[in-house]
Amino acid sequence: MKLALKAVPYRALQKTTTLLISAVFIASIGVGVPVGPPQFLAVAVGSFLLSLGYEVAYYRRFEYELTDDTLDIRSGVFNRREREIPYGRVQNVDISRNIFQRLVGLSKLDIETAGGGSTEASLKYVTAFEANRLQLDIRRYKRGESPESHAEGATVADTDLDRDRAVDDEELLFEIAPSELALAGILSFDPRVPGALIALFTGSVPFISPIIPFDAPPLIVFGLLAVLFAAGLVLAWIVGAISAIVNYWGFRLTRSEGELRYERGLLQRYSGTIPFDKIQAITITDNPLKRRAGYATLVVETAGYAPGQTDGRGSEAAVPIGSRDRVDRLADEISSIEKPTFNRPPKRIRRRYLVRYLLAIAGMTGLLYAGLTVFDLADAMPWYLPAVAALGTPLAAHYKWLHRGYWLGEDHLVTRNGFWSRETKQVAYYRIQTVIETRTIFQRRWSVATVIADTAGSLSILGTGAAAVDIDHQDATRLRETLTERLRTALAERRRDRQRSTAFEWVDTKDEERSDSTGASGNGQDVDQSHTNRSDDSPSDVDRSDDDSSSRK
Amino acid sequence: MNDLHPRIRVIWILRAVVVAVVVGAVGVGMATFFDVSPLPPVGFAVLLVIVGVIHAILRYRNWAYVVRADAIYLERGVFTEIRTEVPLVRIQHVDSRRSAFERLVGLASTVVYTAGSRGADVTIPGLTPGEADALRKRLKGLVIESDGEDAV
Repeated sequence: MKLALKAVPYRALQKTTTLLISAVFIASIGVGVPVGPPQFLAVAVGSFLLSLGYEVAYYRRFEYELTDDTLDIRSGVFNRREREIPYGRVQNVDISRNIFQRLVGLSKLDIETAGGGSTEASLKYVTAFEANRLQLDIRRYKRGESPESHAEGATVADTDLDRDRAVDDEELLFEIAPSELALAGILSFDPRVPGALIALFTGSVPFISPIIPFDAPPLIVFGLLAVLFAAGLVLAWIVGAISAIVNYWGFRLTRSEGELRYERGLLQRYSGTIPFDKIQAITITDNPLKRRAGYATLVVETAGYAPGQTDGRGSEAAVPIGSRDRVDRLADEISSIEKPTFNRPPKRIRRRYLVRYLLAIAGMTGLLYAGLTVFDLADAMPWYLPAVAALGTPLAAHYKWLHRGYWLGEDHLVTRNGFWSRETKQVAYYRIQTVIETRTIFQRRWSVATVIADTAGSLSILGTGAAAVDIDHQDATRLRETLTERLRTALAERRRDRQRSTAFEWVDTKDEERSDSTGASGNGQDVDQSHTNRSDDSPSDVDRSDDDSSSRK
Repeated sequence: MNDLHPRIRVIWILRAVVVAVVVGAVGVGMATFFDVSPLPPVGFAVLLVIVGVIHAILRYRNWAYVVRADAIYLERGVFTEIRTEVPLVRIQHVDSRRSAFERLVGLASTVVYTAGSRGADVTIPGLTPGEADALRKRLKGLVIESDGEDAV
């Protein structure tokens, strides 16, 4: 199948715009060539024609096809590429459309697989209907069903019908409430803005310095700087708020058979699916403010790259903020778990945290003093101000200890960390990749250790696995051994489940299933099957388990 | 628990010496350029070598690994002691490799890859080439046996 024909002029325009922007940039630096409107127009038309030619060739070369077990893509104008992606390897299928694409009815479809640092396949661009159809069909193929045959030119009505049917068997897990969206905005702070501002200011110091009355009493200078700083913070906050609201507008999370599906975005609309068996960990984050107001943040971590992670937005399936009980319920829906009772690190460790915080504050104060001395302002400025924070350190140390802990559940390891922003992480035992126990030279002095249950890599900052930090070193060794052991038994159990499920499916339909189950080895597809078999709401499952018992007798 | 081959210390010390020589050369170069005494950088380089030698000896002493029925277990680290359990089911693939230094002293290492985010590749250095190959083959056999269906 081909990309949308509309994509050709759109892509050509996109390329031309980028070219023109760089051209204007180069011209503004000054290259000696006189650049007026006629030259500019010539460049614009020329580059548009060139890119149009390329895009036509790209369009003609680009072909994709859904076969029974792979998605095949043939592409490339100068370098040809043929790629086959087995459905079982697909992690996420993401659709995004920005405001222009929505105007002309185009969508970008990205297919992510595990492990890679980049998108495995990107269809730029298909029609919105086609994108939805592909997302649905890939999901069906993954489940091992063959979707109803679509004629090459599936009519709009067909696709609509399909979509409705798909929505029908979706169960809404979470939909952001307007109040939650507003809160998400209020609580967002974009740290990139102060960075950009500082860069801007240091660049413009020569222009600004005459404005600042350095001969005025130092306290006024200090105040002025403080005002500037505060303005920067407010700006960062406003930018953060707007981008959070734009990003999470209309966020909803639904569940259909074996998959999570999310939708979000105001200007750029994202939607995607995450198979349950690709979920690596669930992280719930809160801080004292959120706790007081009864809110929390939830992030679903998957292996591999998810779009949007690179710009620090975190996983796509993140609930930016939701009332605590809704977030807990959601976490429970995704992976049901008992209420954890945390094992805390030994109490003596609080002293270590206290010393650490005091050292940090001393360092900060020292730096400030040194900085002010350089400018000869040390006598006039209250450089000792940060030292006041030392009063809060015992409390911070206590809370750091209080929030730390790990808990071994039936199927999950749950860990919790952080004195201000408290992060609770759930990792299923069968998801653990490696177990790492570390003791730094300082930890050895306090005879404590850190145990990390590492899960399959994701590029997010949070994707470092669950860590039980600063637990007693004997506990740590025990925990390390227990985790390895539980991983082994959990895997053995799953394998038994799977063998049982494939065993009775063979009885069901011998020839088809056999080829299926061999084709599915090494990926999560068979997990889907066991998942299906466990739910007993559909009549066919009941039949199957009957078959199972009879075949076993 | 298996120790590494004692000659691995030679590699680690050689590496430390290379770093020290580079640092020392840069330091001496800068000292001559700014026309100050070249003694401090030379002293610093010597110090680096001494620290490197002690570090290599301690590192060798702390390194140990064992291949159990279901996992590889490694202990290592001088300042931070690290103990890693790599379940065999999680192994994606195994390499045995020989760097230039390793070839010089006739050693090899085996690298075990998992899909993890921080323990993604675990290197067992200081094996004789025969040992490294044998370890790779043994791990391959064990991995196939333990049925790595759930590698991710």
